[in-house]
Amino acid sequence: MEMIIGGAFQGKSAYAEKKYPDKVWISGASASEEELLKADGIIGFHEYIRREMKAGKDISGLAGILIKKNPQVILVSDEVGYGVVPVDAFDRAYREAVGRICTELASYSSCVVRVVCGIGTVIKDD
Amino acid sequence: MLVLVTGGSGSGKSAFAEDRVLSLGKRKRIYIATMFPFDEESHKRIARHRHMRAGKGFETVECYTGLKNVKVPQDSAVLLECMSNLTANEMFQADGAHEETVREILTGVARLKEQARHVVIVTNEIFSEAASYEGETELYQAYLGKINREIAAMADEVTEVVYGIPVYHKRRGFR
Repeated sequence: MEMIIGGAFQGKSAYAEKKYPDKVWISGASASEEELLKADGIIGFHEYIRREMKAGKDISGLAGILIKKNPQVILVSDEVGYGVVPVDAFDRAYREAVGRICTELASYSSCVVRVVCGIGTVIKDD
Repeated sequence: MLVLVTGGSGSGKSAFAEDRVLSLGKRKRIYIATMFPFDEESHKRIARHRHMRAGKGFETVECYTGLKNVKVPQDSAVLLECMSNLTANEMFQADGAHEETVREILTGVARLKEQARHVVIVTNEIFSEAASYEGETELYQAYLGKINREIAAMADEVTEVVYGIPVYHKRRGFR
């Protein structure tokens, strides 16, 4: 498993597609759980978390399921935890969930790259 | 040794900071808790942190305002968590320092440093997002930003925790 993370509009997808030209990418904004667990690569993984939470689903086990069922996946996800604590309870829960899930996945991942202004910095490479 | 640990929400800052304290050797460990338990969400948060710390030998001291009055044992290792709460408390609580928040907190950090052997401070990156704020919230960002910069300038180590991964911005002896 590998992760490519960073703020919005930083060139994460372009970085991912360039690094892995042969992967087939799906979008977290529209993928089903089944697709997620079979995917080569997922772009906008945070969008999947948001959709599931909006639908009232319990996503606390998501990292564990991905690690078990799709350990080779490449995940591209926004970092959403660098602002003032949101006033809205859902927004607070969502940003914390993205943090917790991505922290668990990063711990399992062999490589984590953070993209800023299109430039990737490897912050973990086991 | 003064260590500043920062990062986004849910990024594993606390777990990293606790481990950093444990790595500073066997000595008295003091945890300065700053979150005022005002609603169910904060009670849950506090319970989660207590559970994480359990068995790691921390003695908990509560401090919502007035950090400079906290007494800790000589030669202890202190973990203060977190600066974003303490800053909000000083700004907005009735007995807080209000417009003197930055000075009040930096005095408190200096007092801690004088007493303890090691001080590890957890803070928060709340400065990168699309929404812009005004009034109290903007002032809060300005105060916390100033406090973070001042502590970082004094610190031996400044580490940003990104999804559990330490990114070292400053490490004395590693340059």
